[in-house]
Amino acid sequence: MHGFAFDPIHDEIVVNSPLTQAVLVFRGGANGEETPLRVIQGPTTQIVGMGYAALETVSVDPQNSEIFLPVGTGAYGGLGNNQISGNYKEGVLVFDRMANGNVAPKRFLSGPDTQIRGVSHVAIDPVRNLLIVKSNGLLIFDRTANGNVKPLRIIRGPKAGNIGRGQFQIYPEKGLVIAPLGGGFGVWKVTDDGDVAPRWRIPVQQIVGGAPQNTGIALDPVHKELFVANGPLNRVFTFYFPEMFD
Amino acid sequence: MKEHQRLLLAAAAVIAAALFLLRNPGGGPQLVSVQRLSDYGDVCPPVEPIVYASSQEGGQTGDVTRAPTRTIRDTYPIYTAVAVDTNFDEVVLMDNNNWSLRVYNRLDNTAAGAEFTPPKRVIEGPETDIQFNNGLYIDPKNGDIYSVETDTGDKVVVFPRDANGNVKPARILATPHRGFSLAVDEEKQELYVGVQYPPEVAVYRKSASGKEKPLRSLKGESTRLSDVHGIAIDPKNKLLFVNNWGHVSDYRIAGTGRFEEPSIAVYPLGADGDTAPLRVIQGSRTQLNWAAQMAIDTDTGDIYVANDIGHSVLVFKGTDEGNVAPGRVIKGDRTGLLNPSGVFVDSKHKELWVSNFGNHSSVVYPLNANGNVRPLRTIRSAPAGKKSLKFGKVEAVVYDSKRDELLVPN
Repeated sequence: MHGFAFDPIHDEIVVNSPLTQAVLVFRGGANGEETPLRVIQGPTTQIVGMGYAALETVSVDPQNSEIFLPVGTGAYGGLGNNQISGNYKEGVLVFDRMANGNVAPKRFLSGPDTQIRGVSHVAIDPVRNLLIVKSNGLLIFDRTANGNVKPLRIIRGPKAGNIGRGQFQIYPEKGLVIAPLGGGFGVWKVTDDGDVAPRWRIPVQQIVGGAPQNTGIALDPVHKELFVANGPLNRVFTFYFPEMFD
Repeated sequence: MKEHQRLLLAAAAVIAAALFLLRNPGGGPQLVSVQRLSDYGDVCPPVEPIVYASSQEGGQTGDVTRAPTRTIRDTYPIYTAVAVDTNFDEVVLMDNNNWSLRVYNRLDNTAAGAEFTPPKRVIEGPETDIQFNNGLYIDPKNGDIYSVETDTGDKVVVFPRDANGNVKPARILATPHRGFSLAVDEEKQELYVGVQYPPEVAVYRKSASGKEKPLRSLKGESTRLSDVHGIAIDPKNKLLFVNNWGHVSDYRIAGTGRFEEPSIAVYPLGADGDTAPLRVIQGSRTQLNWAAQMAIDTDTGDIYVANDIGHSVLVFKGTDEGNVAPGRVIKGDRTGLLNPSGVFVDSKHKELWVSNFGNHSSVVYPLNANGNVRPLRTIRSAPAGKKSLKFGKVEAVVYDSKRDELLVPN
């Protein structure tokens, strides 16, 4: 599992099931073998794909009560996107949080103008009403973007660096994006535009050693901490980072 | 402007220029300090912040290089598979946590007061190409050790029986992504690799290496394969057994995903392509729940299943079909089972070996064991009572702000 979401307002855990093209919603305190509260699955959902970069995670927007699911083939098996035959589209499906069963998405952000390719993770800034899609850089859309629309802004380029695979987070209170960068993480403003260097870098691999796959990240603003998961090292690190939260 | 004001301005400019040059003489991002962590245990004690380069509103990047204040880590082995070399009386355990193969004497039995049993040999290190390996097979004649990696390596590595330390495999075979299990048809000298998804059983020459293609592959809708895990071969009756988790979809076609009940499907040993199973064990009575590795007692035809989430070992007849209950179930607080994921039938000594993902141990029972029975022996690789974190490549983390808890998927 490469990502999932917690909804603190409704106290729910939202999980994607890549091999069954489904989204499962559990109660926040779920433990052991619990039945999900709701399951989004079926041909009407348009959920497609699994692989290295698509259908590997799901995000939730508790304030607006929506679930965001990046979909596509994710260049599975080393094939480039659109090189696999089949009736599918790559992009971001948006469901009502309470959706259950074989239901249609509310919106589907997809198409050449979106510049979404091999989409992996998305995050929502409810304060500024933005949807950020990590896909060859950070694509910043209006939160309610639908169909084949252009991003409002793109953070991408040599100064921005190689924004890599894995989870990323928004800290809406300060308008910050924290995304994987070169074996660690970089921090940008959501208002950044173009080839912008990050405000901060946390070079996790240089600090802790091991492989560069520090792909998991979560924020705890109360304790001003940042949690980082590293798959190959099989460890979760906690970094104190007050400057970002102050 | 008065003279003292001009002097103050000039001094301020010099100080500002000096600070700028000191901070970033090259003009690019500045790494001020890096401190590599020393070896640490389960939870790293807090360390003092080392250095901080402040936020750069002027477009420069600050590097934050503090060491982590805490680290969640399991330092002990977690076992995904077990196999026994009956010629040399050794047992091999596949450690998914530290990326190693550990070799013990077959009769090792960790004393109650002992911290753990040290292995005779450990194959571990970057040269070994061992990563998140799961399937394990030991050649019954020469003791060669076969192991398959599931996620980050996608290969079978083969070591000679006496390999030890950070050594290169004798040979490497590239396999499909998500290879989970191994079995060998010794009569035909064929190596079977169970692949989770897209589900298939790929069959290679036993001595294959490099990028050699499989001789044949069992896959397709008719096979009813779904998220393949354990595989086992019955050479006497020429059958292949495959267990499935029931996660079904065609990743290329939207909305094809569905959940099915887990199952064990049975095929002719030479099955190829989109071949339907001869019969399927499936249904609520089976107790199958994230079944992992499987093994067959070739004398009786019984199938032993490491039933991970059920914390049990299920034993079916080789002729079972449909919604049948297992003939025997090893389960309970006396068994020492916790997330069993590997199983091996030692026909020579009439023993059943099980490796546990959940408690750093491997346990052995009489082959006819049933119910809540104590193991004959236990190889424990951590202090008694030490629970495994069950980390199996942690790629994500989520913070539950309501409970002040971290959610870590495996």
